[in-house]
Amino acid sequence: MIWVFLIAHVAGVGCAAVAGRSGIRTALGVAAIAPTLTAMWAGVSMASGAPPTTSTFPWVDGLGLAFRFRTDALAMMMTLLVCGIGVLVFVYAIGYFAPNAGGASRFPASLLAFSTSMLGLVWADSAWTLFIFWELTSITSFLLVGHNNTDAAVRIAARRALMITGGGGLALLAGLLLLENEAGTSTLTDLTPVQGSAANVAAVLVLIGAATKSAQVPFHVWLPGAMAAPTPVSAYLHSATMVKAGVLLIAVTGPAFTGLAVWKAVGLTFGIASMLWGAVGALRHRDAKLILAWGTVSQLGLLVTLLSLGTAKSIFAAVSILFAHALFKAALFAVVGEIDIRTGTRDITELGGLHRTMPIAFAVAVAAGMSMAGVPPLLGFAAKEAAIEAVLGLSGFDAVVGATAVIFGSVLTVAYTTRFLITVFGPGPTTKVAPRRIAMTIPAVMLAGAGVLGFIAMGTVNAIVRPAAIELNPKAEVYELLRWPGITTGLLTSLGIVAVGLALGAAIARRATPRIPAPVGADGADAAIDGVLKFAPRLTGRVQHGSLPVYLVTMAGVATLAALPLALDGSTDHLVAWDHPLQALLALVIVASAIAGAFVGSRLGAALTLGAIGTAMSGVFVLHGAPDLALTQLLVETVIVVGFVIGLGHLARRFPEVENTWRLTRLVVSGLGGLIIMAALAAAGADPSGTPPVGDLTAGAVEVGGGKNVVNVILTDLRGLDTLGEVVVLAVVAVGILALGSTTAREEVQ
Amino acid sequence: MSISLLASIGGLTTVGLYLITARSLSRIILGFSLLGHAAVLSLLVAGGPPAAAPIAGGDAPIANPLPQALALTAIVISFGLTLFLLALAARQQALTGDDLVEDDLEDQRIAASSNEEDRSAAAST
Repeated sequence: MIWVFLIAHVAGVGCAAVAGRSGIRTALGVAAIAPTLTAMWAGVSMASGAPPTTSTFPWVDGLGLAFRFRTDALAMMMTLLVCGIGVLVFVYAIGYFAPNAGGASRFPASLLAFSTSMLGLVWADSAWTLFIFWELTSITSFLLVGHNNTDAAVRIAARRALMITGGGGLALLAGLLLLENEAGTSTLTDLTPVQGSAANVAAVLVLIGAATKSAQVPFHVWLPGAMAAPTPVSAYLHSATMVKAGVLLIAVTGPAFTGLAVWKAVGLTFGIASMLWGAVGALRHRDAKLILAWGTVSQLGLLVTLLSLGTAKSIFAAVSILFAHALFKAALFAVVGEIDIRTGTRDITELGGLHRTMPIAFAVAVAAGMSMAGVPPLLGFAAKEAAIEAVLGLSGFDAVVGATAVIFGSVLTVAYTTRFLITVFGPGPTTKVAPRRIAMTIPAVMLAGAGVLGFIAMGTVNAIVRPAAIELNPKAEVYELLRWPGITTGLLTSLGIVAVGLALGAAIARRATPRIPAPVGADGADAAIDGVLKFAPRLTGRVQHGSLPVYLVTMAGVATLAALPLALDGSTDHLVAWDHPLQALLALVIVASAIAGAFVGSRLGAALTLGAIGTAMSGVFVLHGAPDLALTQLLVETVIVVGFVIGLGHLARRFPEVENTWRLTRLVVSGLGGLIIMAALAAAGADPSGTPPVGDLTAGAVEVGGGKNVVNVILTDLRGLDTLGEVVVLAVVAVGILALGSTTAREEVQ
Repeated sequence: MSISLLASIGGLTTVGLYLITARSLSRIILGFSLLGHAAVLSLLVAGGPPAAAPIAGGDAPIANPLPQALALTAIVISFGLTLFLLALAARQQALTGDDLVEDDLEDQRIAASSNEEDRSAAAST
C-alpha cells in the first residue's frame, strides 16, 4: 500500500510539471491529488484501527541494504500531518500566487516532490531509507526556498539553508553508520540501547544532524533566512513538516541513545538554548513572518528538550505538542501570508487595526495564537499542560533544569504570541487591505479550527497521539490529553505562565521596535560558505598545477613511503653476492649504461645505452635459466634500437636543454625509490611464502598442453586469452604508429 | 638472492624514476624502458634462484617457469609502449619543434582563474 502512495506522489510530480503549462493554479490542483488520497487513506486506516504494516524493497542484498518502510502509529500521525496540511497548503498556494505567476511548472512540482520526500522520511524504518529521504527533503527545500531565484538575497538564503542542513546530513550519515555498527541493525524499530565511546560519538553526530534540520541554536541561522520562501512553503516546511524531521529523528533513535549521559546533555543544551534564544528572537523582530520563524525555533527547542528528558511522560508531551504545533503554526503562517498579500507588508510597525478589516484572519490568528500560548479551550492548552506536568513530575537535576527552562520558555512564548497579536491586529492606523482571497482563507480557518475541534473532540486526538507516543515508549500508555486537568499544580503553573506572559508581551508590544540587522550567525555562515568557494579553486590551482614531472615525483614519493614498511623487516642471511660471476659483470654493465644514458646529451647515445642494457638483460636471463626471455629480449631490443634510430630522424640530435631547478629533488626521490625497491625485494626473499609449484606446472604442461617448454605452454594454453590480448595491444600500437607517422609524412609532402 | 641482481634493479629503478620526471619526452621513454627492465628483473628474482631452463623431461632441477611467463608478457607490452611513445615524440617534434612535455593547459587555466579572482577581489575592496 505504501508503494502505491509513493508512486502516486512521484507520478504527481511529473503531472504537476506538465500541468504547469496551463498555469500555476491548475498545476497546484493537480499536485494536490496524491496528498489528498494519501491523507484520506491515513484517516480511514487510523479510524478502522488497521494494524501497522511494513514493506521492504531489496536494494543491495549482499550488504543487507533495503528500502524498508513501516506504518506504525507514529508514522500514521506524521502522514496525517504531512498530507493533511499538505493538501491545505496546496489550496492556500492557489490563493497565494497570482494566476500568471512565474515558475508555474517548477513550484507545484517541487512542493509535491518535497511532500514525497517527507512521506518517505516519516515512513522509513531503515536508517538508510531515512537518510536518503532526509537528504531529499534538504534538496527539495532548497528549490522551494530559492523559488524567487532572480533575487540575490533569496539565493543566498537558500544556499545557506542547503549548506547547513546538508552539512548536518553528513554528520547524520557518520552517526548512523556508527549506530548501525554498535546496535547491529539499521532497522529503526529494532534499535536496542547502545553503550561505549563509539555510541557516544554516534549520539552527538545524530544530534547535530537533527539540530541542523530542526534549526537548533547555533544551527538555527538558516531558518529566519528561509523566510525568503513563498509563504505556503514556510507554512508547510518551516512549521509543520521538514523542521520536525530532526525532532522525529531524535524520537526514533531515542530508544538506542536514551541511556547515554551525553545524549541527554547535548540534547538538553540544544533544546534549552533554542527554546530561550528563539523566543527572544521572536520578541525582537518586527517582520511578522520572522517572528513566527523565531517562534518555531523556540517551539522546536521545547520539543528537543522534552525528548531529551526521555521520560515516558515527556515523550508523550513532545508528541502531543508536535501535533498541536503543526496545526497552529501552519495557521499562523497562513494568516501572515494573507496579510502580506492583502496589505503589501509584514512589518508590524506598519500594520494595525486589522481586527476590523480582516476579521476572519483575526479570528484564526487568535485561535491559533491561543493554542500556541497554551490557553484553553484549545488543543495547544492540553498539549502544553502535558508538558508542564511532565517537567513538574521530574526529580533531581532534571527537575531543576527542565522545569525552569520549560516554564521560562512558556512565559516567553505567551509573551511573543501576545506581542504578535497586539501589534498586528490591535489598535493602530488601519491599514488598507485588498479583497479577500477565499482559497487563502479556507485553509487557515480549517487549520485553526482543527485546534478548536481537537479540544472538543479530545478523544480523537488521543487516539492519534497516544499510540504514536506508545510506539516510542510503551510506558506512555498511562497518559492522555485532558480537557480539564482539575485544580493541580500544573494548572496553577500554567495560569501563572499565561498571566506573566500576557503582561510581558503587552509591555513589549507598546515599546518601539528598532529594525534589527540580520543575525551575526547568518553572516558568519555565509562568510564560511564563500570562503570554501574561494579556497577550492585556489587549492585546485596549487595541487593540480598541470606539471607532469611534479605529479610523477609526488606519486613516486608516496609509493616509496608506502613501500617503506615492507623494506624495513627481513634478515640478510639469504643474500649472496652473485649466482654466477658473470652475473656481477652484467649487473655492472646494466647500472653503468643506465647512468650513462641518463646524462648523455645526444639522443643516439641514449638509444645505444638502451641497447646495451637490453643485451645485458638477455645475458642475465640466460644465466637465470630463461632462454625464452633472452631470445625475446634480444629480438625486442633490436627492434627498439631500430625504432629509436628511425624516430631520431624526426627528432633533434641532442636533448633540448631545459633549465631544471629541481634536479636534486628528482635525484633524491628516485634514489630513495631504488633503494626501497631493493630492500623490499630482499625482505620479501627472506620469507618465501612456499615452494613454487614447479613440479605441478611441468607435469601439467606435458599432460594438458602437450608441450615440453613449460613457459610456452603457460603462454599459449593456460593464459591463451591473455596472450591474445597482448597480440591485440601490439596490433593497436602498430596501427597507432602508422597513423602518427603517415600524418607527419603527408604534412611534410605538402 | 643475488645482490648483483638486486643492485641492477635498484640502479634501473633509480635512473628510470629520474628520467620519467624529465621534461623531454624521449628521456621519459628511456626512463620507462628502464623501469620495465627493473620490473622484469624483479619478477625473475622473486621467482627463485637460477636453475636449468624449464623444459620438461630433463633430470636437473628447473627454474620456476611462472615468473618467466609473466616477464615475457611484460617485455612485449613495454616494447609496444616504447615504440608508441617514440611515435608520439616524433609527432610532437613535427608539431611544436621539440618534444617537451608542457604543463597541462586546462590545469593552468584553473590556477589562473583562481588567481584572477583573488586580484579582482583585492581590487574591489
